[in-house]
Amino acid sequence: MTQDIVKPLVFEDLVVGQEVHTLVRGPITTSHLMRWSAAIENWHRIHYDHPFATGHDKLPGLLVNGTWKQHFLVQMMREFLGPTGWLWKIDFSFRKMDVAGSTLTAWAKVTDLQVRDGLGYVTCEIGIRNQDGQESTPGSATGVVALKGGKPVPYPFVPPHD
Amino acid sequence: MSYITPEIQALVGVTGPVQTAPLPLGADTLRRFMQAVMDPNPVHYDEAAAKAAGFAGVVAPPLQPQHLFQRAPGSPDPFEKFKENADWDGMGGGGNTGLPKVELPLKRLLNGGYSCEFYQLAQVGDLISRQSRYKSITERESSSGPMVFINIETTYTNQNGATLMRVVQTTIAR
Repeated sequence: MTQDIVKPLVFEDLVVGQEVHTLVRGPITTSHLMRWSAAIENWHRIHYDHPFATGHDKLPGLLVNGTWKQHFLVQMMREFLGPTGWLWKIDFSFRKMDVAGSTLTAWAKVTDLQVRDGLGYVTCEIGIRNQDGQESTPGSATGVVALKGGKPVPYPFVPPHD
Repeated sequence: MSYITPEIQALVGVTGPVQTAPLPLGADTLRRFMQAVMDPNPVHYDEAAAKAAGFAGVVAPPLQPQHLFQRAPGSPDPFEKFKENADWDGMGGGGNTGLPKVELPLKRLLNGGYSCEFYQLAQVGDLISRQSRYKSITERESSSGPMVFINIETTYTNQNGATLMRVVQTTIAR
């Protein structure tokens, strides 16, 4: 698989409002869904049994698993934060279905930047849009990165005291 | 009329049993998972890359511990259900938290989403445990009728008792 090319993140260069990272996967075929369902042993037939999904459950097609989409968002944020950053928090809502055949883009836009205890905290609006620009999984995420010349992010991560 | 009866309200704060994964996280389970999610990050398969990134060994991505509570070896085959009901939807299994059920007269249950906090990653060989509790149960009126939001918080720990993550799942009943 092609490695996604990622520029190293410099906290001091980030600007609120900036779309900072995208990750594209797709088209997500029935084979992708079968591989995912088998890997996590999710046997819900709406993800791999087309007659069941469309006939019994009256869905528009086979559904891309919510569990796949959540890892897709996590992967996108971790790519953005880089190998020395830490994804601290993420939340998202499953608002719309994505069906097999879709090409999906996970994206992040900076909404807040803070320096606390010598570390940079970057909060983003996140989501997944399909090839038609329809958003299915809106949410937000906060990552922690080192400042230029600053101390590294501790591991295991200890959240700041409010 | 409210769907949230005193019995349902009393479930808030109730904690389920500690559940331990049937097996430690295996390198091959992790490989299949990474290939299925299409994440090329080498810290998830290459010992040297994992150590260079500050981990003690190959680690799993943050949310993978959610999927380690699958069917234990020797347990009954859920596909036996097809003998009774050819239309069985295939649901169930790893998602059972052991919490008492919220009894609602609403038919549709939707996975509303998740809110997660991460502290450290599971490492190959770790034996993961989890425990869930009802964090909140609230009701809201929508254009299509009442909706009940059930928030279950699950805490994941490793064999040393270290907390890896906390995940709040919202289930919407309508």
